[in-house]
Amino acid sequence: MTRWTVVAEQESRDLWIGGRGPVLVFGFSVLLSAMTYLAATNQAMNFLEQREAVNLTVQVGLAVGVLLTVVVSADAISGERERGTFEALLLTPVSRRAIVVGKLAAAMTMWLACLAVTLPYLWVLGRGVAGAGQAALLALTVGTLVAVGLGGIGMLFSGWTNSNKTSLAGGLLLLLVLFAPTQLPALPRTGFGQVLTRINPIGSALHYVSQILVGRRGWTNDLSYLAAPVVVALVVVAVLIAAGPRLVRLTAGLR
Amino acid sequence: MATIEAIGLSKRYGARNALDGLTFAADAGEVIGLLGPNGAGKTTTIRLLTTILEPTGGTFAVAGVPSDQPHRIRRRIGVLPESAGYPARQTGAEYLRYAARLFGSSRHDARAVAGRLLTDVGLGDRAGARISTYSRGMKQRLGIARALVNDPAVVFLDEPTLGLDPAGQREILSTIAAIAERRGATVVLSTHTLTEVEQVSGSVLILDHGRLRAAGPLAGIVAGAGSLSAAFLDLTGESGHD
Repeated sequence: MTRWTVVAEQESRDLWIGGRGPVLVFGFSVLLSAMTYLAATNQAMNFLEQREAVNLTVQVGLAVGVLLTVVVSADAISGERERGTFEALLLTPVSRRAIVVGKLAAAMTMWLACLAVTLPYLWVLGRGVAGAGQAALLALTVGTLVAVGLGGIGMLFSGWTNSNKTSLAGGLLLLLVLFAPTQLPALPRTGFGQVLTRINPIGSALHYVSQILVGRRGWTNDLSYLAAPVVVALVVVAVLIAAGPRLVRLTAGLR
Repeated sequence: MATIEAIGLSKRYGARNALDGLTFAADAGEVIGLLGPNGAGKTTTIRLLTTILEPTGGTFAVAGVPSDQPHRIRRRIGVLPESAGYPARQTGAEYLRYAARLFGSSRHDARAVAGRLLTDVGLGDRAGARISTYSRGMKQRLGIARALVNDPAVVFLDEPTLGLDPAGQREILSTIAAIAERRGATVVLSTHTLTEVEQVSGSVLILDHGRLRAAGPLAGIVAGAGSLSAAFLDLTGESGHD
């Protein structure tokens, strides 16, 4: 087992055994239950088409799952600095890059847990339209791309600051800025509105998902909408690996 | 053979000199006391020699490994950092197993090392208890056990007895002496308590405002001033230390 996997394994244990992982996922499941109940009742009253209900669940699962991933990743470095446990990790021969990769991998378990919780809701809402399996696959692929990208940005914030509150606030503010436009009903679908949607990794990912689930388009028809999530994920991981030695220091900003 | 060699080691933070031209050497099996008032540069010295900070000047080698190979130095050293934090939810055994695995031990070896070290520092019966239930003294002993997890050639202990009662201090000091005697490791002991240095150290470094004021065998430094306390006060202009 290579060193990053040792870091990832222990960080995951700290998150899930006695940590805040189970509490966050419980809150997530309560939210999803309420949302699914509303979607199901609206569907029963013909206010919401079945595919739209599935799409809504995927979108909420993706947005909140990514949010929780950012909450975990934003704590990864600055949180250890605050708790005074970081120096012991830095004193081991594990490379700074392995520490970053291990911590990011552990944060991704939060996204995978949220995805696992979402699956039964998709199955309940999507029965009969063959949409549940497709929705699950979409959530896995598109959601993982967005979670890696934005979770990685949360970790960058965490490395740049000594304060956990600052890194958390930075990560959540970024999410808010990216997520808010997706909820604007009047965002134009051409010109500037189209550009805004395409450069926004969350907006473009949600658009891509809804085109397949609701618009019944093929997976390859709107593939260009995945450019932003793919580019953000690749660039952020590359920056994390390249800047690992500068990010993973006892105190942010000092050498 | 010298296990620590520092030549002109310096660290600046902006205009402030935290450490200025430190030169010294320490041999295997030696316990070297690192003394100085607050802000003298003791913790900076340890953080430089343990590769946590990068020096702005000078060179050093630890356990024969030059300073430009920090990951190799970290393989050969054990450190109890100043005011080290501990993951409250982990057990003592889990904490040491994780440390051992980070140093490359297999799962099986890590378990064996953790069990042995916990017994060595008197925490064998609390191995499965969460660290949050440990007293301060127990946490310090756990920290020392962690510093020994890779069988280091050089051990750095930064204020290991801070906040401990006399019995706890005595236990830690006997552990430090045992590390040097039985393992043959060089121990760098940073402390404010001069009596501790007198009990376990063979040689001393005295720092003040980032500069080395005295270095050498304890007997030689004490002989000139009558006592270590008097020598310390003469060299640093401090009062109020024991």
